[in-house]
Amino acid sequence: MGHIEFHQVSKRFENGFEALHRVSATFEEGSMSFLTGHSGAGKSTFLRLLLCLDRPTRGQILVNGINVTQLSSSRLPYYRQHLGAVFQDHHLLSQRTIYDNVAIPLRVAGMKERDIGRRVRAALTRVDLLSKERLLPAHLSTGEQQRVGIARAVVTRPKILLADEPTGNLDPQLSRDIMELFRQFNQVGTTVIIASHDRDLIEDMGERIVELANGSITRDSRGPAAQAQSDTLAVT
Amino acid sequence: MARKLKDPWPRQRVGLGGWVRDHWRIANEAFSYVSLRFGTSLLVWLLVGIALALPSGLYLLQQNLADMTQGWEGRPGLSLYFEPGVEPAVLAAAAQQLQDRSEVAEVKVIDQAQALADFREFGALGDALDILGDNPLPASIRATLATDATLADLETLARIAERGEGVTDVVLEKTWLERVIDISTLVTRLGLVLGALFALGAVLVTATSVRLAIEARLEEVRVMKLVGATEGQIRRPFLYFGALYGLGGAIVAAMLLSAALLVVEQPINHLLNSYGQGLELSGFNPIFLVALLVTGAVLGVLGSLLAAHQRLADLAIH
Ligand SMILES: Nc1ncnc2c1ncn2[C@@H]1O[C@H](COP(=O)(O)OP(=O)(O)OP(=O)(O)O)[C@@H](O)[C@H]1O
Ligand SMILES: [Mg+2]
Repeated sequence: MGHIEFHQVSKRFENGFEALHRVSATFEEGSMSFLTGHSGAGKSTFLRLLLCLDRPTRGQILVNGINVTQLSSSRLPYYRQHLGAVFQDHHLLSQRTIYDNVAIPLRVAGMKERDIGRRVRAALTRVDLLSKERLLPAHLSTGEQQRVGIARAVVTRPKILLADEPTGNLDPQLSRDIMELFRQFNQVGTTVIIASHDRDLIEDMGERIVELANGSITRDSRGPAAQAQSDTLAVT
Repeated sequence: MARKLKDPWPRQRVGLGGWVRDHWRIANEAFSYVSLRFGTSLLVWLLVGIALALPSGLYLLQQNLADMTQGWEGRPGLSLYFEPGVEPAVLAAAAQQLQDRSEVAEVKVIDQAQALADFREFGALGDALDILGDNPLPASIRATLATDATLADLETLARIAERGEGVTDVVLEKTWLERVIDISTLVTRLGLVLGALFALGAVLVTATSVRLAIEARLEEVRVMKLVGATEGQIRRPFLYFGALYGLGGAIVAAMLLSAALLVVEQPINHLLNSYGQGLELSGFNPIFLVALLVTGAVLGVLGSLLAAHQRLADLAIH
């Protein structure tokens, strides 16, 4: 349940600027892809449309065969509950502990506090931050904060995980660790799309790379890891 | 891709337990938010309290005035005056007729001789009547109303009495009562107008304060939206803020009112004693207090709905 299709998607802002122009692409369930391109190419816009934070001016975005651009505002929340999103500026709440930050999506989903505790600790263990659950975000390093953001995105075990510049201002080694973390989530079947302009890093990852330039896809290539994965996907 | 799919993102059924849990947690959070910003909250409570105290004070006043016109001890009544030389039998019949009515408590017949006797008691002027020879004073009947009779009853009674045999004149004794009722009507109208205005004021004060609370928690709202909180879930904490502001305001209003009652109780009693009236100030009872609290909470929630509608409806997530 993590199949994504963009069909001729365009986004023109109120000021007349067209950030995406007839973009079509398919992301299979359980795939991992990088979205790259120069600054202003339309990467964030692409992800925002997928999260329904903006609506495209034309085209369709099908998730599991359903055109999410047409979702009513009452159904939209339930769609978003099945997505995980990570942003560069983490969006962590400064007044709340790490634990409470990660628990937000589960509380929104109405889960019991006991189950929340189990899930939050599991997610924090995955990002190696269990020992810091009682701290406030300000007491964590940037890399740790980014991992809290990731824990919050995956705590609901979403089928789709989106990340916009998740390694924005981290050093190369930390960036690589974070990307490996995403790969681990991908390996349990989550569809992962990451926007990043860190060319060296994403080339090294060997996954699929979709390159945008001025709102259009100019390159769509699959590295060795993506090849291997689509082979196994084809077999199973 | 034409196959029919079942909804992959069904509406979560949170269940009663989850709903209660969520409300309990959010109520707690709202409470600590409000108490952490005690200074600001106190200001809001005072403003809302004053806005609520005035109309509810007028309401109390109106209630007491209504009580007064009902249980009036000065007892309004009416006097019927008869043409000279009226038959005693006619007088007696008229008196009986009045006596039979439930709204009449007491009937006193004063025939012409009695009227003259009463008149003479006033002294000097009495002798003047001897010059006239004939007794010019009319016979009369004075009826006093029962305690539960209203001003409307008095007027009905007067209309009936006017048509009675030999009756020349009916005089209502109701001036004081009428005045109280006029004041009571005025107070009611004033209460309604001020009540509406001040309720609006209370709503706007809470709306502004809740708006500030929303502004302070905008980041949280955005995160909530991003992870799929419904409009209701996003609004919920702010409705609690509104309710708490309104409730606190109602409590302040209750305190202001009881202080005001303490201040006015003595002079009011003094005033009423001079009219031969004793009065227990009533209406400031548990039911009134509960109604005041509920009104405060409802107005607060209305204010926060207003603020939420203004600020949250189409909040963009960056
Ligand atoms: N609300 C908006 N109104 C007008 N133009 C916008 C709006 N949002 C984005 N844009 C423009 O759309 C273009 C694409 O923006 P987008 O954020 O998708 O780029 P990006 O590829 O994520 O860039 P970066 O790598 O710098 O994050 C930019 O030129 C931006 O100025
Ligand atoms: Mg961007």
